[in-house]
Amino acid sequence: MPTVTDGERTGLQTRARRQAERFRDFVDDTSPEALVTMTVIAVSLLAAFVGFLLVSSLTVVPFAVFLLASGYGWFRHQEETALILTLTTTVSTLLILGLIIVFIFRESIPVVQYESATVFGVSVPGLRMFVETRWDAVASPVRYSMAPMIHGTVMVTVIATAVAAPLGVSAALFLSEIAPDVVREVVKPGVEILAGIPSIVYGFIGFTVLGPWASDQFDLSGQGTYLFVGVVVGLMALPTVVSVAEDALSSVPESMKSGSLAVGTTDWQTMTSITLPAAFSGVSAAVLLGVGRAIGETMAATVMLRGVPRLTEPLMNVFYGQETLTSLIARNYGEADGLQLDALFVAGVILFVTVLGISIGAQYIEWRMRRKLGGEV
Amino acid sequence: MASSTRSQLVESDTSATDAVAAGAVGLSAILFALSLAALFEAVTIAQPVAGVSAVTLLGGLLAVLGTAVVAFGVGSWLGYVETTPSSSAGLVAASVAAIAWFTVAGGVASQTLGLGTAGGIVGGLLGGAVAFAATALTREDLGSTVPVGALCLLTGLVFATGVIGPEWIWDLGWEQTASLTAEFVIPVATLFAALFAGWAAAKAYGGFGARGRRLGAYTLIYLNAISIVAFLFILVAFVVVQGLPGLFTGVQVGAGVGPQTTIFGVSFTLPLSVPFVMNGVALLNDYQGVLPAIVGTIWLVIGAVLFAVPLGVGAAIFLTEYAERGRFTQVVEIATNGLWSTPSIVFGLFGFAFLVPRFGNRKSLLAGMLTLGFMLLPLVVITSREAMVAVPDEYRDASVALGVSRWETIKSVVLPAALPGVVTGVILGVGRIAGETAPILLTMAGGTFVPGSQTVDVIGGFEFTAAPPFVANPELLQATSALPYQLFALITAGVGLGDNVTSPEQFRWATALILLIVVLSFYAIGIATRYYFRNKLRHD
Amino acid sequence: MSETQSTTASADSTEQAPQTTTGETIEETRSEWTEYGFDGQAKLTAEGLDVFYGDDHAIKDVSMEIPEQSVTALIGPSGCGKSTFLRCLNRMNDRINSARVEGSVSLDGAEIYQEGVNLVELRKRVGMVFQSPNPFPKSIRDNISYGPRKHGDIETGWLARLLGRSDEAVEEELVERSLKQAALWSEVEDRLDDNALGLSGGQQQRLCIARALATDPEVILMDEPASALDPIATAKIEDLIDDLSEEYTVVIVTHNMQQAARISDQTAVFLTGGQLVEYGNTDRIFEDPRSQRVEDYISGKFG
Repeated sequence: MPTVTDGERTGLQTRARRQAERFRDFVDDTSPEALVTMTVIAVSLLAAFVGFLLVSSLTVVPFAVFLLASGYGWFRHQEETALILTLTTTVSTLLILGLIIVFIFRESIPVVQYESATVFGVSVPGLRMFVETRWDAVASPVRYSMAPMIHGTVMVTVIATAVAAPLGVSAALFLSEIAPDVVREVVKPGVEILAGIPSIVYGFIGFTVLGPWASDQFDLSGQGTYLFVGVVVGLMALPTVVSVAEDALSSVPESMKSGSLAVGTTDWQTMTSITLPAAFSGVSAAVLLGVGRAIGETMAATVMLRGVPRLTEPLMNVFYGQETLTSLIARNYGEADGLQLDALFVAGVILFVTVLGISIGAQYIEWRMRRKLGGEV
Repeated sequence: MASSTRSQLVESDTSATDAVAAGAVGLSAILFALSLAALFEAVTIAQPVAGVSAVTLLGGLLAVLGTAVVAFGVGSWLGYVETTPSSSAGLVAASVAAIAWFTVAGGVASQTLGLGTAGGIVGGLLGGAVAFAATALTREDLGSTVPVGALCLLTGLVFATGVIGPEWIWDLGWEQTASLTAEFVIPVATLFAALFAGWAAAKAYGGFGARGRRLGAYTLIYLNAISIVAFLFILVAFVVVQGLPGLFTGVQVGAGVGPQTTIFGVSFTLPLSVPFVMNGVALLNDYQGVLPAIVGTIWLVIGAVLFAVPLGVGAAIFLTEYAERGRFTQVVEIATNGLWSTPSIVFGLFGFAFLVPRFGNRKSLLAGMLTLGFMLLPLVVITSREAMVAVPDEYRDASVALGVSRWETIKSVVLPAALPGVVTGVILGVGRIAGETAPILLTMAGGTFVPGSQTVDVIGGFEFTAAPPFVANPELLQATSALPYQLFALITAGVGLGDNVTSPEQFRWATALILLIVVLSFYAIGIATRYYFRNKLRHD
Repeated sequence: MSETQSTTASADSTEQAPQTTTGETIEETRSEWTEYGFDGQAKLTAEGLDVFYGDDHAIKDVSMEIPEQSVTALIGPSGCGKSTFLRCLNRMNDRINSARVEGSVSLDGAEIYQEGVNLVELRKRVGMVFQSPNPFPKSIRDNISYGPRKHGDIETGWLARLLGRSDEAVEEELVERSLKQAALWSEVEDRLDDNALGLSGGQQQRLCIARALATDPEVILMDEPASALDPIATAKIEDLIDDLSEEYTVVIVTHNMQQAARISDQTAVFLTGGQLVEYGNTDRIFEDPRSQRVEDYISGKFG
């Protein structure tokens, strides 16, 4: 039982003290040999990692030590070895995320400094990428503006969400509340399989079939529209929305729904007045995750878009599809070099930060709702 | 006592009026199908259908539908039909009507009356406001039928009388030129009008009120679900139909036709030869194939699984069994969910920045394996955690009460119980990463048009070296191809196939088909595994 | 010590009492034990009711008449079908996919399992209170007015206000009346906008009763309404039931025999296998049960 605290600092102190106490107890309880093995495992793995990081060819030495120590520990002190190994795997998850952040940001620094703009006499690095709208890697002055790509991503995402959100939530309602068991057993795997179709296949069909048809229908010059890329990406994000929303709807307790029906309402009224509001946080999270999925979609966009980084004219012109953040990277990684390559990393940073923000936002909504219904199963 | 309205407990038979409403629903379904056919040019709008041009037919049917809907609504209001309407059609119906009329009125003001963009917006707002008021402020039976029906009637007449005919076109006047053509507008307008009218007709069939709204909602929801499943079928069928010719080019069945293989020391020639999956691309081939890409995909998957599964399951074990719920577990959970949402191209960038410099500064199979492993990791952690958390505490308590140590409990009680969930999760995760192009684009992709003999030979590539790191495998460190990348290269480059390919188009479709088969097989196996385990547990 | 009695099978007795593992003495049931003559109208009548959950025969050939404006208690050990029978009376069993109902149930003479029955109307007239209180995550006021609002009897949206036909006064009156009937008004009258989940268990259950009363039902079904509550809250609920029975027909399922003896006018005893074994005036059932099995159950030999 935590002691009653009257401040964050005391709370942290007691927690730290408790952790230290637990650690000391653990050390006392474990045999010295096991402790040594555990330490060797941890240290050698750390050394191997550092070696890998520094591109050292001696990395194999600590790694071999790690393997030997783990093998030894497994046979002699399996309990403790399992503990330390699972701990390292857990830390590695955090580590990977940390590495991604570090390396992506690091590569983008040079071009951010290049694209500085002055505001009120203060030089703000990177600002010019969002203010100027010209992307030209060849002609002078060389500019790497992110604005056209952000515009493209926004256009595609908005249309994709307009497709995926209503259709997805409605399908989720269908699966969790309306469909008879037999129908559900057919439709649910169907939606999962839809999620499985590779994005390059979508892109291929969009490029070969949808593109020419759209150019014909709207009398366009050339091929590639934000409208239809948005529709395709929306269909790709649909399964994400359906599965998360369906989980949320299914977890609304039956007692609440029974309470509504027993008072004399139709099941549709129960769905709209009780079930959906109760699952609102989960459903919002589902839509958010769908948006994140749409933002991150790469290959379908790359194949279907025109690939010329510019804003459409007028801005709302959905019939011309230029470039998104994702397609920019996929298209240019081959020839890009130096600052242009770094600019691709900037696009990656924007993508990463946006999607991570959305993911955290969705998790926060769910956490807040769980607390608000506090105790309510 | 309370002023609650009392209805009949048992409803009377209203078969005649039911028939009218049902007929309207049926008609809207037919129109929906027809307009889809017209949109995808199974039927071109100018050509005659049953003696009448398609446009006229669509327009006429639409007008009939609109009239029927209005008639039902008015009949209900005048008391000729027994219904239980609410006092208002509600905000949802009003908003939908407003949007529909906004579009039509705006388009008419802008194009027909020539008032331009400003005039279009004003006209649209006007029309939308009127429709909103008409829907929300009148009783439900009028409000949910008259604005819809009037719209259908108007649109139908416009199409039937040729005011908007097959030659109609509206140049939007933008710098990047785009126009709305009749080929697009007529089917799409019919589609949405039919949908809207069908919804109103379904509500009418249910007698309005709560029951009518329920029926209307269910109609739309069922339509949505059916469309999604139909879309899936059509998509897969389309790829299959387009890809099969390419897949089966040069197929031969018979003794001694296929390649030689050795299984368990016995070598024999397969009686089946499918060049598309058995050859690579070489000058002297009779038929070209994608074998190197297939082998590349297989190795990628194996490598990713070997990396991600131990790490993921280990992390899940620690989080559920060892760690207390607190800051640390929360942070890891947030990080894992964040990783799960991260776009695949960002993983590619990371692999490019982190792995490629450390594996000889060039693209390699190993870098691709690890990048896909990073993508697979959060999936494995999440599904394994779910599977382990689902194991009831009673199992653990029983084991601990017997004096069994924690790790032993995990090994013999928790893991076996969680195994089905973990396995299913891994299979589905593999299905997802097998189809990914972006991560391997930046870390591995190369060598797309190589002969079959140059498929990467990972097992045979291991060798010992004198200097550190003492073990090397050049096969792992070379740029190879995989199916998704192969398809991408074919779309964007298309060259290098050689003269032997009679139809590059078919080759591409066949590549798409084989990729689809590989990925969907994983999904099918994963779903089947889940069913198998669920049924097994149910009967235990 | 009870002796096994073998009775001659009368022409009416249909079934052999099944083998029981709970120590009940085995005897054949007699149809005359379930016939209950009473003055006044029968509000609900079940005839030959059989309920199957898949292959499981949960209710076996139950026939009983429930008198109006009185309290009928259904008692018996766990799993004997009391709740299943209760849920047949407002067709809540329809919610369970594997449930199959055969036989007849009529409300005021009208068969409720026939084609074309308006379920919404049925449940307006036959209200239900559940074992665990299940208020909606809404305010107290919104919980009570939920039913009438969904039935279209109360409209208070901005649209209604715009058109000058807002029913706010009607709603307030309804909320006050229902809460008074459920003996909860004095405790919550100044916090009607608070979330209902903030109330105590007993208060939540009384809120659920008020919610059921708000639709002006004729019958109130209660499925072990006090089993999740402490003794004081239970006592309040029992007092409430007593008051309600003057106006409404109350059917209450309880596993607490003393509770049944306290509050009900007539008692039906369900024993193993979904059988109605005996049904009659409460005092008589508890003082002088005709069936040996019922006597054993009441004296605590099993269940």
